[in-house]
Amino acid sequence: MLMASGLRREYDDLIALASLDVQIPPGELIALVGPNGAGKTTLLAIAAGLLDPSHGTIQICGDPAGSLPARAQTSYIPDTPVFYQDLSLGEHLEYVARLHGTSDWPDRASLLLEQLGLEQWRDKLPTQFSRGMRQKASIALGFIRPFSLLLADEPFDGLDPPSRGVLVEMLKTAAASGAAVIVSTHRTEIADISSRCIALRDGEMVYDGPPDRSVIAGAA
Amino acid sequence: MRSMVAADQASGLGALRDLRTARRRRYAEQVDWLETLYRLYLGVLVGGWGLALISGALADVRVDRHTVEEIHRHGPAVLGLVVALAVAGGLRSGARGGPLVIEAADVQHVLLAPVDRGAALRGLAFRRLRNAAFAGAVLGLIVGNFAFRRLPGPTALWLLLGGVFGAAVAECAVAAAMIASGRRMHRAAAAAVAALIVGWSVADLLGRHVSSPATMLGELALWPLHHAGDSFGLPAAGLLIAAIAVAVALSGLAGTSLEAAQRRAGLAAQLRFAVTTQDLRAVILLRRQLASETPRSRPWLRLAPAEQPRRVVWRRGWRSFLRWPLVRVARVGALGAIAGLALLGAWQGTTPLLIVAALALIVAAFDAVEPIGQEVDHPTRLSLLPVGAGDLIRRSLIAPVVLMAGVSLIALTAAIAAGAPGRLVGVLIVVALPTAVLSLCCAAVSVTNDPYAYALAPQIGYVQTGFPLVLMIIGVGAPVLAAREAARHGSSAVGVALGCELPLLLICAAVTSWLGHRAAKRFPVRS
Repeated sequence: MLMASGLRREYDDLIALASLDVQIPPGELIALVGPNGAGKTTLLAIAAGLLDPSHGTIQICGDPAGSLPARAQTSYIPDTPVFYQDLSLGEHLEYVARLHGTSDWPDRASLLLEQLGLEQWRDKLPTQFSRGMRQKASIALGFIRPFSLLLADEPFDGLDPPSRGVLVEMLKTAAASGAAVIVSTHRTEIADISSRCIALRDGEMVYDGPPDRSVIAGAA
Repeated sequence: MRSMVAADQASGLGALRDLRTARRRRYAEQVDWLETLYRLYLGVLVGGWGLALISGALADVRVDRHTVEEIHRHGPAVLGLVVALAVAGGLRSGARGGPLVIEAADVQHVLLAPVDRGAALRGLAFRRLRNAAFAGAVLGLIVGNFAFRRLPGPTALWLLLGGVFGAAVAECAVAAAMIASGRRMHRAAAAAVAALIVGWSVADLLGRHVSSPATMLGELALWPLHHAGDSFGLPAAGLLIAAIAVAVALSGLAGTSLEAAQRRAGLAAQLRFAVTTQDLRAVILLRRQLASETPRSRPWLRLAPAEQPRRVVWRRGWRSFLRWPLVRVARVGALGAIAGLALLGAWQGTTPLLIVAALALIVAAFDAVEPIGQEVDHPTRLSLLPVGAGDLIRRSLIAPVVLMAGVSLIALTAAIAAGAPGRLVGVLIVVALPTAVLSLCCAAVSVTNDPYAYALAPQIGYVQTGFPLVLMIIGVGAPVLAAREAARHGSSAVGVALGCELPLLLICAAVTSWLGHRAAKRFPVRS
């Protein structure tokens, strides 16, 4: 699903990712952990096609990350939700779904809004939402379209405990349906649901193995 | 899979069209058309009246036959150099991610979706090109309006070709930026191409021939001076090359870097807000960030620590200047040269060029007052210092005065190099230092303005923003105009200029004193 080889990213003198090699097969739920500045967001942004690697390659389903076929397969939930100022949540969902050629979007949208407790917010502007509501709206946008690879950057931030539970179930369902799911987080409870853990530090991979709370806590 | 993606793409583009139509309709519904038309009416009325006043009431003199021939011979190459510099600026902007400002939400939701990025960005690119063409055409019309009053040739042709030339230059600059951005041109490569284009125009200027497309466009602007039998082929070729550049730019939009787009989206949103609140300091800082203009990590020259406490502020100013990137050094130098040439043009009869000279000097001064800007940017630190903010701000003006005196020297040198007569040189020597001080006072007032002081009374805010510009134009224009008139009537130009500078220096002293008083009030020393 995702294959990175010799992936490196530099910002002037700073090395954000140092020659990373990783393969992620379909159906895996990966906990991507590491302290601030470890390179988690950079890795996810490169996989989404937002950033270009300085060296190395990264492929999604055999296509270069950021290419048109790769974009059709990749859903990215950024760490900071991004919305149009003049579109309601419902209009956002319609727009994003239709951009990805989803025909059954009305049903999917209703289901997602119900799952996330956003039904009554459908016609409201997300730019006026609270931090947690914005995060939930961003998650809904990430799930409204079909994907084979889900990249979620700190998706639990700002969520209340019940919403975190809902998100955990959604991530598990996505992985169970065959999608590769990569979740960047500092939360140790991710160990209970993930199938694999990758820890980064200073841009280098320091752990790649079964999920372990101590590894996650240590990396965070 | 591929056919599925293609189908998705078609429906995605359909969604994009539908949504943009809906957003435009919603925007149109919210616009107060009466208010908009009233503003347009006011703009046209004030702009037209101002233009008529400047161009008509100042009684510019018509140029003599010899000068017309000189302009006919060298003008296209000079204008070609202007075109080349605009294109070079465009390439520089494009290598840093410009010129498109894509909404952050569009980067996240549209450009990461499986739709053709070129198609998704085309509408935005057309709008950018249209706006640039409009602005260029207006500027060209204004210049054409001044040209026909001093040069022979049909009025309508000067206006028409002035407008077309202005639009073409703007299109070339924006197209160059789009080509550099869409092709992900490296900064060094863009700089090399820019140097080649400018070098070609310089070669045309020195060799007195027309080979560069930029010079061909210059031929277009000066076509009203053409002789019978001259072919319109070269100007037409220039226009054709500009059109090809636009087409090439539009074809490569899909390559635009999302990383740069994201960065610019955030900065542009802040810039719009800063412009709305007339926060000039924020505008300067954000514009520098958009142009990736950062201070040098290694200074041009490392200064030893100041031995006497009184010299700390002076030394701090020079440490700031010694970290200027090369592009800022070049810009300030070029602004000085532009001011000198504009003053020469004004002396020779094109009075509105005084405004150009004043604006060039105040823009250079905005860079020179950077140490003061840095102090104002950190009000808490300023308040915690054991010295009064007013005293600090006043002392911070000394190093910039020396710098701006250097800029005035560049202006003087440029005017002499362009053939300034002895009397003008004398006038420029007299006005150099007072003008440097005035430009700094005006820039310092602008930079230390509190943008939120008159948030509830925007009219006062407009006055606060406009005052330094008006003062600068009067301060630069009045002595030169008075000296020019004195020279025309056989009086001593230098003496008249000197007489004008004395009250100007008094005004500068008053402004400096008020500046310190205002800073002391705004940033009181914490006990």
